[in-house]
Amino acid sequence: MAETRHRGRSLLTLAYMNGIVPIRTQPLYLLGVIASPLSFLFFITIASNGSLFHDALAGGLVLTMISIGTSLQSDMAHYRQDLKLQDLLVASPVEAPVYVAGIALSELCYSLPGVAIFGLLWVLDTSVSWLTLLTVIPVLLLVWAFASGLGFTLATYFADVRETFVFSTLVSLGLTVIPPVYYPVSALPAKLREYAYLSPTTYAADLMRNAFGFEPLSIAARLTDWGVLIAFTAALLAIAAAKARWRDP
Amino acid sequence: MAQSLPSRPAPAGAALVAHGVSKRYGHGPRSVEALSGVNLSIPSGSVYGLIGRNGAGKTTFVRIAATQLQPTSGQLEVLGHDVVREASQVRLRIAAVPQESRPLYFLNVDELIFLYLRMRGLDRPEARARTERVLDELSLRPVQRRLVSQLSGGMRRRAMVAMVLASEADVVFLDEPTTGLDPVARREVWAAIRRAKREHRTILLTTHYLDEAEALSDRLALLEGGQVKVEGSPTEIRDRVRLPYRVTVFGFRREELEPYGEVGGFDGGFIVFAREGAARELAAAALARGARVSLGPVSLEDIFLQIVGRPIDESSEGEDGPGEG
Repeated sequence: MAETRHRGRSLLTLAYMNGIVPIRTQPLYLLGVIASPLSFLFFITIASNGSLFHDALAGGLVLTMISIGTSLQSDMAHYRQDLKLQDLLVASPVEAPVYVAGIALSELCYSLPGVAIFGLLWVLDTSVSWLTLLTVIPVLLLVWAFASGLGFTLATYFADVRETFVFSTLVSLGLTVIPPVYYPVSALPAKLREYAYLSPTTYAADLMRNAFGFEPLSIAARLTDWGVLIAFTAALLAIAAAKARWRDP
Repeated sequence: MAQSLPSRPAPAGAALVAHGVSKRYGHGPRSVEALSGVNLSIPSGSVYGLIGRNGAGKTTFVRIAATQLQPTSGQLEVLGHDVVREASQVRLRIAAVPQESRPLYFLNVDELIFLYLRMRGLDRPEARARTERVLDELSLRPVQRRLVSQLSGGMRRRAMVAMVLASEADVVFLDEPTTGLDPVARREVWAAIRRAKREHRTILLTTHYLDEAEALSDRLALLEGGQVKVEGSPTEIRDRVRLPYRVTVFGFRREELEPYGEVGGFDGGFIVFAREGAARELAAAALARGARVSLGPVSLEDIFLQIVGRPIDESSEGEDGPGEG
């Protein structure tokens, strides 16, 4: 019981330290996080004469969550390589999963305004039901979890912080820009559609669009989307637990 | 003002025991051996100094002991727990300031210490009390509300040391804790380390400031090329030195001094390392000649020079891990 309380305290302190304190010091951080998703929404809506607005809305929410993973990856690489914060915490009662969860929670603080803006646009555009929320929130949490696991694992392998810049771009490109997140999978040539399903974000965006009422899905398709998204998240977290380097080899 | 904390009972035995600890970075012909069969025993409640040139293996040893780095072979126990197999038990009772670590720039000094203690699981009143206490002890009160990004490098280092000492961990690893500090700040860190020792905590200190090692350490180990070259209390080490006296003399030619011991030159005079009898004879000869002379026991720096053959501020290229000193 006492151990659980200590872990909870560590986790919340990390989230406060890396989330609330920097935002309080420099609120412009928040704009930085939502700039990309909003830009995509703007351009896609304009370029499609409004026909892809709903897709871009779902895509914006997914990108906002993925950006948590890329921010976490940069932060953790910086903390590990430059500040030696990871070494400082390794030599303390703070455990690796608590560290990752705390930093992931702190990154969520940066994303909440983005989620709120997209949520507001969604509410203004269409009706909201509890059932929709019961899909959207878990989907976003799963994307947050796998993006955080991926970010942590990559961060522990970088020899220099500059490598994160390249990988952040690649992760963003591979998970949100190229796959059908901002556009429907039907917009892809038939040959490429099966490749689109290699990305977990395709399933997440499918579920979001379906929950918003923009894309009909059969029960089997929905179950498949959920199954793949949960399996992918579990696999990435397992890889993070097994392969991420807390103590240097 | 901080509440006073209960004193802990004096510990018995060794806080840290290393048996044949080795570390090799990389594989194949380009691999580098940073530590080679290190054996050490660090008594509980003592300040133990690990000295050596940059690249001698000090940081590698500390990182293995602090569970931050996997050894290649050998066994290391901290407070009776193996650092590899029982790392989680070790981590409950240790704290470390890694070499070249820097605080998060967006925190102020007070937050840095307080939040570190909260991360370690302390409840709010306890974390607050310890923060207040260490702010006073390390004279950080005037900069308590300043962002660490606005502090000098030395002040940041002091804040990091304060943070870790406030943890009141049983074993504290301080890797080059006073690098970049001015003399006054160094003395304050020394005082805090002595206070921690009075509270029966064990401190493993790495430094290449030999005056610091001598002033603080109950025992010392001199590392060179990843191996312990000499180990013991400063007095024991001095007693073990072949030429334990240093004579500084002017007005002599080198050839005249060579029969007394090992001769080194400096600014128009000579330093002679000699045995006690020879040192006294040389001092008497100099006085008889009316030459300027001084005689005393060798310093730790002299001992280092005698053992290693090179001064401590000369780097040991490529013998340590990536980015380590």
